[in-house]
Amino acid sequence: MSERAFAVVGLFDSPDALLRAVAPIRAASLGRVEAYTPYPVHGLATSLGLKRSPVGGMVLVMALLGAATALGFQWWVAAVDYPITTGGKAFFSWEAFVPVMFEVMVAFATFTAGLAMLLLLNRLPFFGHPMLGSSVMAAVTRDRLALAIEKDGDVELDATNARAALEAAGAQSIEVVALPAPSQPASARTLGWMLGGIAAACLTSGFLTYWVVKLFPVLPPMVHMLQQPRINPQSQNGFFADGRTQRLPVAGTVARGYLPYAVANADEADRLVNPLPRSAEVLARGRRAYSTFCSVCHGPLATGVGTLSSAYGAKPANLQSQTFRDYSDGHIYDVIMRGKNAMPSYAEDLSEDERWAVIHYLRALQRAQNAKQEDLR
Amino acid sequence: MAADPVALPAALRPQPLVIGEVTPGVLDDQVLSHTETRPPLKWFVAVTFTSMIATLGLALLGYTVYQGIGIWGNNRPVFWAFDIINFVFWVGIGHAGTLISAILFLFRQRWRNAIARFAEAMTIFAVMCASIFPAIHVGRPWLDFWLFPLPNQRGMWPNFRSPLIWDVFAVNTYFAVSAMFWYLGLLPDLASLRERARHPLRRAAFTILSLGWRGTAAHWRHFEKAYLLLAGLATGLVLSVHSVVSFDFATSIVPGWHMTIFPPYFVAGAIFAGFAMVIMVLIVVRESMNLKHLITERHLDVMNKVLLAMACLMGYSYMMEGFTAWYSMNPYLHHVFTQYFFGSYGWAGWVTVTCNVFLPQILWWPRARRSYPLMILVSLGVTVGMWMERFVIIVISLHQDYLPSSWHLYRPTLVDFGILLGTFGIFFTLVLLFARLLPVIATSEMKMDLPGAQPTHAGATHV
Repeated sequence: MSERAFAVVGLFDSPDALLRAVAPIRAASLGRVEAYTPYPVHGLATSLGLKRSPVGGMVLVMALLGAATALGFQWWVAAVDYPITTGGKAFFSWEAFVPVMFEVMVAFATFTAGLAMLLLLNRLPFFGHPMLGSSVMAAVTRDRLALAIEKDGDVELDATNARAALEAAGAQSIEVVALPAPSQPASARTLGWMLGGIAAACLTSGFLTYWVVKLFPVLPPMVHMLQQPRINPQSQNGFFADGRTQRLPVAGTVARGYLPYAVANADEADRLVNPLPRSAEVLARGRRAYSTFCSVCHGPLATGVGTLSSAYGAKPANLQSQTFRDYSDGHIYDVIMRGKNAMPSYAEDLSEDERWAVIHYLRALQRAQNAKQEDLR
Repeated sequence: MAADPVALPAALRPQPLVIGEVTPGVLDDQVLSHTETRPPLKWFVAVTFTSMIATLGLALLGYTVYQGIGIWGNNRPVFWAFDIINFVFWVGIGHAGTLISAILFLFRQRWRNAIARFAEAMTIFAVMCASIFPAIHVGRPWLDFWLFPLPNQRGMWPNFRSPLIWDVFAVNTYFAVSAMFWYLGLLPDLASLRERARHPLRRAAFTILSLGWRGTAAHWRHFEKAYLLLAGLATGLVLSVHSVVSFDFATSIVPGWHMTIFPPYFVAGAIFAGFAMVIMVLIVVRESMNLKHLITERHLDVMNKVLLAMACLMGYSYMMEGFTAWYSMNPYLHHVFTQYFFGSYGWAGWVTVTCNVFLPQILWWPRARRSYPLMILVSLGVTVGMWMERFVIIVISLHQDYLPSSWHLYRPTLVDFGILLGTFGIFFTLVLLFARLLPVIATSEMKMDLPGAQPTHAGATHV
């Protein structure tokens, strides 16, 4: 025989004849014995000495894993990461998680059964098997049953003996499947074409993306919720004579918490008394307002060194100095309301309570910077 | 089986699954050749017609996405109407396929081999049609990904205590499992098609699709095990999917929905509607593709018996529903149940009961189970009846809720009807394409059970 054989295949017409041939061929041990059939033949795998399929065990493990994953995920979502009471139920109300647990379990199990069978056990997809191109394949996917003696590893197949053994075992016809020529490394020309092709594809897609992005304006998708038959506040509208959409409040309207400041001058303001208690909440509120509005100029310690003072060239007051420590609460309140020198009014930015809270906080800062011996106890 | 048959009465003796002499080769020629020849003119006429209807449906779906669901008839308090009716209807149609391919497989009902492939394909197409509806019903379909528990910058997760999210998982798993089951069953047939292919492109396509399947003993051993497991899994799944769909209703407090009978009642109804659809399509396939000797009259007879059994189950369910309404002493439930038959939509209740319970009773008559006109009449009736049943459950229960001031008569718009019609177009276009592109009968499963295909168990080597 001139060409080297991958397999010698005996074709059989009846399953009985095939099964009878299995034992003598296996005993001859001329190579790997493989059977090809168009449909599952009962008892064939057993007589070929194949082990039980491990798919069942894999599916069981993955099904349990799937159920555990789903339950664990739902527990984490509902009880840990996003705990929201629904229908008065406990965060981990596991009964409601059973349906999803079941579905995920089935999904895990199904994909394990299908993919483990194909990819792990049957090693598919595989298009390079020598049998695939042979005429035997056409017969065994149609109506013939085949028993093949295949090349086992590096051992050369003895085609003559294999043929004799299959004939003796009762094969109706025998075919030899040639060993495919060992694949050659790709030539420089092929490589060049491949690399050139990849480069061309990259360039084309790059330019296409560029032109698409450049030429097509970015369209706002699905803006029906914005485009409603309504009139937006602060917009222009011809309905009223003044062209405003919104009506102005009635003259003399006062917003809640923003009563007009009725104190005439700083001396009068001295009589004002801080209405807030010196509690932790008030000090926290004062600290928050102070950090937001005051500390940029007066500094976090009220020493007049803030982050903005150098930028503006101004010299904000050092509130730790004796002058300001002697100011009454009402006087400071008056400065907040009216402003002083370069400092503008902060009446718009701070609510009534915030102003007094800031004053409490400022007092705390002053006391902390000028602590006496007894304060340390 | 021993050579000498056991003396059984004629009625109990196993009957051949095919008529006449069918060898594996002949089977291949008859089934696979349909994918290799030019389809007849009537196929082109049919596919043109169905794809026109499908296009109409797709255009109306596009209009819905563009304009919003205000173009439907849904309005308070009937927030669920055609969208959910069609969803439940199509998911239900799918159930017959899984029942035939998985449950009958586990029960070793070998006759199912001839119709399993087709029924499975119908399952997949029906679930595709069904999944359209929840997707557009949410109103802003481009946000459908919110249905899935994906990490997001909003820091939010879906509510896993809601039956609606169970539905998302159930329908998606159902589709994935059905597709996997169908594709695995197709593999050996795709390998046969690969070997028969003449054109190199066709051969390349089927080589890739068949994943290089060779049919070795080891292949088959793993394949059979995996297929058996998938059948078992799909069986549990098919019972769960429509149960979960029924939870959408049963876990609410709407009178007429809040019933413990809903899960089994929905599953039975799903299988019922699905079998009717399979019977109708099967008749067309059998006649137009010359498969009368493979899909025999006995197949139709058995299918009709299943249909009859399911019709009786439906009758029982309707009676139990009525009994529950009466026995609950709940005036709201009394009212809704009266509305089912004597209210503004009372005709719908009568159509449901007539089509689903009374009409199929003619199948007790053996000749009706083998007569095309009667079979088609019953199957059409069941399809209409099952759709009306969902209308009764959904619309009638909703249109008069606890607050009489919000009672409202639901009126579907033309768009509603167009989308329903369009899904039929999509479904039948896919069925027609499938019939000419892939083998409609699982040939490897058929070959396995042909006479002489298996060893006689007399061989000494057979362990």
